Amino acid sequence: MGVTKEQVEASLTSKLNPSHLEVVDTSGGCGASFVIEIVSEQFEGKRLLERHRVVNSALEEEMKEIHALSIKKALTPEQWKQQQEAEKSKPAA
Amino acid sequence: MWSVGALDSITITTPSPSSNRFRALAKPPTCSLHVHYPSRPLRALPTFTLSNQSSSFRPKRALSFRCSAALTPELKSTLDKVVTSHKVVLFMKGTKDFPQCGFSNTVVQILRSLNVPFETINILENEFLRQGLKEYSSWPTFPQLYVEGEFFGGCDITVDAYKSGELQEVLEKAMCS
Repeated sequence: MGVTKEQVEASLTSKLNPSHLEVVDTSGGCGASFVIEIVSEQFEGKRLLERHRVVNSALEEEMKEIHALSIKKALTPEQWKQQQEAEKSKPAA
Repeated sequence: MWSVGALDSITITTPSPSSNRFRALAKPPTCSLHVHYPSRPLRALPTFTLSNQSSSFRPKRALSFRCSAALTPELKSTLDKVVTSHKVVLFMKGTKDFPQCGFSNTVVQILRSLNVPFETINILENEFLRQGLKEYSSWPTFPQLYVEGEFFGGCDITVDAYKSGELQEVLEKAMCS
């Protein structure tokens, strides 16, 4: 059996305490492929590679069954805020 | 070092549920053995070491605790040589001319578009290498890109760095050195 979206969310929530989290199951039902957007204070001061490592190790158990994990965004709350504001101001411009 | 068969002898004693110590734990201590049993039979069976046998089993630590299942010292020194044999080495599913995974293909196309000479290694041909590499890079998936002997990242990171121009910089620096 594959991993569910809820399992991925639960692991990430408990280990990384994200202020924003979006998990999308892109496997078409088998639970082997996910796309993730995550915002956490734990990324502060870490390069992208290190941030991905943090997410990978938080999902260590799940990764045994996940074939593809795409981390679209791994941001700090500060970066996330900036991005949100940039997006908001776009349509107005 | 144990052989795979020795696993049977490991018993995990769980305290009685009424024990306060047990309740204090986020979840009961489980032995997370990271042995990836390949679907195909291997010529050399992976061996693993159990380094955390002490009774003070801290659950937090246990989460990141990983047994070396496939990365033998021999494989490690071979990989040390492989990743430094060329400036850019890509461990991927399939080959440069016939990628067998969309993510691997993406990285090949990026490297091609940048006109960088690179070496690819098809990890689908060797299950032992495939499992060993996951530990070597501390990275669970493929492709894995190495630049000048250093792990650069997987597909997402490579795409991001390509878009931001960081990849071009890193590769240029590597080519000039």
